[in-house]
Amino acid sequence: MHHVSLEETVNLAILAGEVMLINGAETSRAEETMDHIAWACGASAVNSFVIPTGVFLTVSNMEGRSLTAMRRIKYRTIDLERIAKVNELSRRLVDYRIEFTEAQNLLNNIAQERAVLPAVISIGASGVIGGGYAVVQSGGSGEMVGGFIAASGVSWIASLVTGFHGGQFIYEFLGGLVAAFIGILLQNYYSELNRDVIIVAGLMPLVPGMVITNAIRDIIAGDLLSGISRGLEATLTAVAVAMGVVIALSFGK
Amino acid sequence: MVLAAKIVAAFLLSGAIGILYRVPRSVVFYSSLNGTISWLILYSLIENGVNVITASFCGSLAVGIIAETLARLLRKPSTVFIIPGFIPLVPGREAYTTMRYMVEGWQLEALSMGVQTLLMAGAIAFGIIISISGYRLAASFKFRNETGNVDEN
Repeated sequence: MHHVSLEETVNLAILAGEVMLINGAETSRAEETMDHIAWACGASAVNSFVIPTGVFLTVSNMEGRSLTAMRRIKYRTIDLERIAKVNELSRRLVDYRIEFTEAQNLLNNIAQERAVLPAVISIGASGVIGGGYAVVQSGGSGEMVGGFIAASGVSWIASLVTGFHGGQFIYEFLGGLVAAFIGILLQNYYSELNRDVIIVAGLMPLVPGMVITNAIRDIIAGDLLSGISRGLEATLTAVAVAMGVVIALSFGK
Repeated sequence: MVLAAKIVAAFLLSGAIGILYRVPRSVVFYSSLNGTISWLILYSLIENGVNVITASFCGSLAVGIIAETLARLLRKPSTVFIIPGFIPLVPGREAYTTMRYMVEGWQLEALSMGVQTLLMAGAIAFGIIISISGYRLAASFKFRNETGNVDEN
């Protein structure tokens, strides 16, 4: 391995942390990845600090110089595959299975690849979630189709709203509203359908699974600051969905 | 027959969650399996008269244990297996029923259903906490005895 300068080390490590956090990794994983990468590049001391909205890193080298970098995270998405890729990359770098320059190129590719899930696939997957949940909740074939329609309607709203970069929680609120309206409408036309099962199935894609998991894992790892803020995010998401459903139900009684 | 349909539905549901959260394609099958098994535990416990809160707790214990085991076997972050695992357990029906009771003005029923929802959600979160930290504790003891250092995954 050729000599890696302090600047190169910090740039690689903080990019890895940034990619991880943006794609939904928990705090301790982002911190550990940056630490491992910096140690593997020959640092003598590493301090990393990650909160849901920012990444901080200070690396010192053998000559006693140290360098601090910070990145502000504004948008977060969900892409578990990228997290797995960066995780794998840091392991290989630590075990000296890849060279520094190769790792740099790989990480730049991972960071830059356009990996937006096609709308058709995300709408279809949401529909399957809704239909599956309707069957699990003892719904018949009618409820299954209804759940599919409600959940894919919610996902369609998501693809519209995310295009505008609106504020937080708008999508969840609209999603709750749409799922409840679809349930009420379907029951108006086909009175034998169970409205409740359809609405619940339509709400399933709105469950903030990533946020809940990260909140739990941050609390376990002792990252209380991130754990609390993610727990609050999950709670507010649930409240937004509930508000949407309540408003639709009280209009459509 | 109905149970078979429900198992297939739980499997497809977890698989679709895996696709939506971009679980790496090579492990989508295993993460759906985790969701199916945990849901089956929840369902069979409730059918045998176990309290829903205890059943949720047992289901999410299974989620954490299976996820950590698979994470070590397949060398992937355990989040990949946790999310599709626990979403079939989410008390969506109970949360919705609480809201419906509130809209219809049945405050007492809403209160009792709301408390049940919160306890189920708490049981799921705590089941995952206990199983992950318990698994880590056991694994670190085992690794420390064998190699003298701790494997962080």
